[in-house]
Amino acid sequence: MSWKRHHLIPETFGVKRRRKRGPVESDPLRGEPELMQLFPRGLFEDALPPIVLRSQVYSLVPDRTVADRQLKELQEQGEIRIVQLGFDLDAHGIIFTEDYRTRVCDCVLKACDGRPYAGAVQKFLASVLPACGDLSFQQDQMTQTFGFRDSEITHLVNAGVLTVRDAGSWWLAVPGAGRFIKYFVKGRQAVLSMVRKAKYRELLLSELLGRRAPVVVRLGLTYHVHDLIGAQLVDCISTTSGTLLRLPET
Amino acid sequence: MLGFLSARQTGLEDPLRLRRAESTRRVLGLELNKDRDVERIHGGGINTLDIEPVEGRYMLSGGSDGVIVLYDLENSSRQSYYTCKAVCSIGRDHPDVHRYSVETVQWYPHDTGMFTSSSFDKTLKVWDTNTLQTADVFNFEETVYSHHMSPVSTKHCLVAVGTRGPKVQLCDLKSGSCSHILQGHRQEILAVSWSPRYDYILATASADSRVKLWDVRRASGYLITLDQHNGKKSQAVESANTAHNGKVNGLCFTSDGLHLLTVGTDNRMRLWNSSNGENTLVNYGKVCNNSKKGLKFTVSCGCSSEFVFVPYGSTIAVYTVYSGEQITMLKGHYKTVDCCVFQSNFQELYSGSRDCNILAWVPSLYEPVPDDDETTTKSQLNPAFEDAWSSSDEEG
Repeated sequence: MSWKRHHLIPETFGVKRRRKRGPVESDPLRGEPELMQLFPRGLFEDALPPIVLRSQVYSLVPDRTVADRQLKELQEQGEIRIVQLGFDLDAHGIIFTEDYRTRVCDCVLKACDGRPYAGAVQKFLASVLPACGDLSFQQDQMTQTFGFRDSEITHLVNAGVLTVRDAGSWWLAVPGAGRFIKYFVKGRQAVLSMVRKAKYRELLLSELLGRRAPVVVRLGLTYHVHDLIGAQLVDCISTTSGTLLRLPET
Repeated sequence: MLGFLSARQTGLEDPLRLRRAESTRRVLGLELNKDRDVERIHGGGINTLDIEPVEGRYMLSGGSDGVIVLYDLENSSRQSYYTCKAVCSIGRDHPDVHRYSVETVQWYPHDTGMFTSSSFDKTLKVWDTNTLQTADVFNFEETVYSHHMSPVSTKHCLVAVGTRGPKVQLCDLKSGSCSHILQGHRQEILAVSWSPRYDYILATASADSRVKLWDVRRASGYLITLDQHNGKKSQAVESANTAHNGKVNGLCFTSDGLHLLTVGTDNRMRLWNSSNGENTLVNYGKVCNNSKKGLKFTVSCGCSSEFVFVPYGSTIAVYTVYSGEQITMLKGHYKTVDCCVFQSNFQELYSGSRDCNILAWVPSLYEPVPDDDETTTKSQLNPAFEDAWSSSDEEG
């Protein structure tokens, strides 16, 4: 139990005179471009838009509720799309809408020129994307509101733009994201095992980043470290020698 | 603090404000205290605790050995060192004791003459506190995980029971039989809770990841299934709504009944608006939850910013409810903590764990200033009880 007076106490008692606070600095919109820089575009030959994970945004913004609310605002304004990555129900990928549209247009239309689903995909990109900002789509929404036939929905699933969630509902997906997810999961396990093998199961952040990345880690050590800290898979402890990453006991 | 007192005295401030501020300060100072102890009776892990709402004086505990113990929490001795003694217990030698582990105990909300207990031996027993006999027994086909009786209701005496089957049963204490069955869940019901605001609103949490809100007067089924993504509400898609990505283990309404907290085995805790079922998206971070049955957590009452106390492995994590900030982790138990209750009159927290201990977390007060030497040797007796006779033989 800490003997220091918790910061909530003066707030509750209204003792301290409140200083004029400046605008809130922790804006995920500013953090995202730098996270996007970490994403290795060249690895996927520019076929994928840069994907940032929600847990990485948490590692930049200290208050998670504020981060969630701001991401939701951005989603409602239509600036970003949130996509369900299949490996973990909690892991959401964040993509700028512009990037998503250009990449999907390029790669899908390039791949399926002349095939029947080009038309369905174009219709989807033009009508559904700007209108509905959710992660998932339902059967009646697609058929009644947007006028898709069942065969067109099958084309969309084949093209990789939608993934089946349940009978009659689909997640929004990024075509070709399978490779990214494979590298991501393997890289995350590899970085976690680097911490696990260390003596006392803890590692200084500077030392971790200075080590040579194992071959399995294709997306970069910094990318994975942000994700591990934000997903609370490692505890982040500040010491006199810098930040220490330690595996939690449970 | 002195400013608050003088403002209250002169009438500048509402008296409730001082009370809430001081309650918050005390909750922020919760810690283990060497002067406060709870007598150890249980031989197995403690699954459930309940403090009676009338006076906040008596506490019931139910253990995995089937034993139920009643403690008196009030400190009537003048000393600061106090052990909460067990007033009575329903031990293994009692003829009506539960055969297997007791999962939930609850005082009758309106007085301490009665309490209910449910157990893995597929029964719900209603006990008379003064004679310690069972007044009634309800038998079920499956093991009972949880039960709850409405704390505010005066119009009905229904006890909601969650069992291993997917149906929620409502038992009527007046008639002695099960009056309703609520259908809608697909797997076992791990937690049930009545709303502290409305008589007829019930929330149930199940292993199929869904939390449903019911109005028990309504014949057609549940009101809302909570959806963590706050998607568009339409009848066709209700089947896809999940509150958590794993089993939902625990439910707790805030003391005003306007919000509902749920914890799940996906290591998340969520805060919901109980009137429209919307996820408020407050993010508490990772709340470790490995429990295969229900997790009993609690919310503080009467503070300016409410706190939620959640068992987190062998510690108890304290968060502010509406902003999601983690205040502290209370460390003290040796094994997994299963349940905790908050005593709102004195801002104390009692927690029970698998190491058979109940720990009392008491607000840390300032150390008393040591007196001068003469006063410590003075007698502790109240001057009214001191006899006026002198000890000398000569005087009359």
